[in-house]
Amino acid sequence: MRRAIILSALIVCMFALVASTAAQAPRALVVQTVTEPPGLDLTATPASATAGVVLYNVQECLVKVDAHGKIVPWLAERWHTSDNRNYTFFLKKGVRFHNGRELKAADVKFVVDRAMNPETKHPYPGYYSAIGDIIVKDDYTITFSLKSPTANFLLNMARQGSVIYPREAVDTLKSAPIGTGPFTVSDWVRGDRIVLKRFPDYHVKGLPKLDQVTYRFIPDPNATLAALKAGDIDASMFGLGPEHVADLKKDGRFEVVVGETTNDVIMAMNNSRKPFTDVRVRRAITHAINKQDVVKLAMFGLGRVIGSNVDPLNPYFVDLANAMPYDPARAKKLLAEAGYRDGFEAVLKVAPQYYYTVRAGEVIVDQLAKVGVKVKIEQIEWGQWLSRVWKEADYDLTIIGHAEAWDLANYANPKYYFRYDNPKFQELFKKSEVTLDDKARREQYVQLQKMQVEDAPVVFLFIHPRLLAAKKGITGFWKDIPIPSNDLSEVSWSTPR
Amino acid sequence: MTLLFVSALVFVVVRVLPGDPAELILGVERNPETLERLRRSLGLDRPLAVQYVEWLVGAVRGDLGTSIQYDVPVGRLIVSRLPVTLPLTLLAAAFMIAAAVPLGVYAATRYRRTADYVAMVVSQLGIAVPSFWSGLLLILLFSVQLGWFRSGGFEGWTSGVWPGVRSLLLPALALGLFQAAVLVRATRSAVLDVMREDFVRTARAKGLSERRVIALHTLRNALIPIITVVGLQLGQLVAGSIVLESVFALPGLGRLALGAISARDLPVVQGVTLFVAASIVFINFAVDLAYVLVDPRIGYEA
Repeated sequence: MRRAIILSALIVCMFALVASTAAQAPRALVVQTVTEPPGLDLTATPASATAGVVLYNVQECLVKVDAHGKIVPWLAERWHTSDNRNYTFFLKKGVRFHNGRELKAADVKFVVDRAMNPETKHPYPGYYSAIGDIIVKDDYTITFSLKSPTANFLLNMARQGSVIYPREAVDTLKSAPIGTGPFTVSDWVRGDRIVLKRFPDYHVKGLPKLDQVTYRFIPDPNATLAALKAGDIDASMFGLGPEHVADLKKDGRFEVVVGETTNDVIMAMNNSRKPFTDVRVRRAITHAINKQDVVKLAMFGLGRVIGSNVDPLNPYFVDLANAMPYDPARAKKLLAEAGYRDGFEAVLKVAPQYYYTVRAGEVIVDQLAKVGVKVKIEQIEWGQWLSRVWKEADYDLTIIGHAEAWDLANYANPKYYFRYDNPKFQELFKKSEVTLDDKARREQYVQLQKMQVEDAPVVFLFIHPRLLAAKKGITGFWKDIPIPSNDLSEVSWSTPR
Repeated sequence: MTLLFVSALVFVVVRVLPGDPAELILGVERNPETLERLRRSLGLDRPLAVQYVEWLVGAVRGDLGTSIQYDVPVGRLIVSRLPVTLPLTLLAAAFMIAAAVPLGVYAATRYRRTADYVAMVVSQLGIAVPSFWSGLLLILLFSVQLGWFRSGGFEGWTSGVWPGVRSLLLPALALGLFQAAVLVRATRSAVLDVMREDFVRTARAKGLSERRVIALHTLRNALIPIITVVGLQLGQLVAGSIVLESVFALPGLGRLALGAISARDLPVVQGVTLFVAASIVFINFAVDLAYVLVDPRIGYEA
């Protein structure tokens, strides 16, 4: 009898144990990403594949761009400036690097000094060019004196090039970076996966919610879809095309998030090459393109039509999508005025590595043919695109997404591959860079956007959407991508799998 | 000699291609000074001939240079990818031979009968369907529908032989069956050629069973052309693995090469090409040796 009681008690205990582990939500996540990072050192590569793993997950900055695009205090709990020249940051106390050492102001100085040193080959030296002196007042107080007021100074301190790491870990940044982030790099199996583990001493209480995140590199979109359906991955962050969205939305097991990004897809026209030197021709091309149809046919209707290079996540965004409407008759008239009554021929160079450039190009070629502009598509490989189109501006037309936020500077640089040279635009842009009054700066940005419509230096097509597909029951992903990061600190499984 | 020619060719071709590794590393916001400094530190500013000779001297000593992308010695990178590509190729070769040789022999014995035509139509289909497509179909069937295999990725050999083999089974099948379709036809025509020989008629006249005639007399003599084709196809399998490693997200040599080409990681491209070329030279050598084993009449002077 006694034996029977003990036995049944044991069985009950076992059941309870099984039940409790089964009811607990899993704490590991497998996500898919297309490209393997070329290295994990954000101070040596501008690759978004690297930022997608490291930024805000492994390494963090003094300030952070949050899910809504707002700059918020982070490793610095607050900052202060009285004259917009001297910025003083007050560091949060008790923040630990993954090696256990506490973050001090001297680390911040070391990191920025190193970024400014041309010997280090930092990918974004321009972010720090206005910095004059860096003064460490005490372990938790640091002041940056700027040589000239810089409106984007705080933003630049939140970007991927400005991550803070301990000086003793400089040599391992490329393969095993150390930072203050919610996750540590635990394993990198070259060619297959990167595994991040929870950092128990993370400075934000209660985060991260996951114990482990595995990034798997799957280059092929169809293979990604199969992996998701087979249950081998829990979420796909960049690997799916718009053609998969409808199928996944019908499948009750998955949730699809379509969000905004800062990735403006444009068709650039070589402003230094005839006939695109003539603003009437550039405007004619813009009027001849039905952007809604481009989004419908090339992107399955996903993606927001734009009218300037300022994206909707930017606080100064003005919706100018309809400022230059689709109007083939007007396009023909403008072409005739410019002396191209019978149209002309041009070559459109696209890189198939970015599928949307080829698809959008095919639609646009068809639309331009209707106003007499005969365009031939030439597909080139990405490395060639960078050297031929981007560096040497050896092209007529090209399509590409510009993913950087706050990138109007490209239009103020006459040497940029658009070869767009309008001194008025350049002057106004320069002014906006040093204007710190929000209202005045907004006014300047509105003007700049209107000038982009008037001059039509490129055809502003659409915003490439964020397409995220995940198993139901996972919460905490960012909906929009205001900065190239996949912050996974708040991601968790809400229900048992 | 072959290797020297291949290495020189690859060296020139990857450098003539537009696209600069330093530019790809620094991206679109780099400044010109940083670019120059990086090009200097990568040794890209020196004359082509100097770069080649330096690389060649290193390669002879077994030093293939350092990857621009990963900052790891190229030799180590290649070795780390072999546990995927080598078993994948061997497994695919096993599938290829196991499927093609019996089918080819069977088709030959049923020459111009229904079974022969069916076998030929199936092999024609096999040749026509590209392996990345059959790979995707296999994923849809065995991973998505049935859930027997993982849809891709490599579990590694550390967790045991079976998890490793399981990751490689589907890609090896897709790769092997495509090549098998070619081998079926080669086997069939080789066997048919031999079956018309006098000694086969003699064997039959002796009263040997048809099975013994095929297995002992015909197949053995048909093996020489079959081995030749298999040798050529092993090279094809290595090339085919580049595509399938992408479809199945396997960290193999093929994907290493593909990634290196688009990143203009020149030392890796050169290293992998040299390695693959050397393997193919080695396979050809092994095929020549196999001739001796199969046919005692063939001998090599020392």
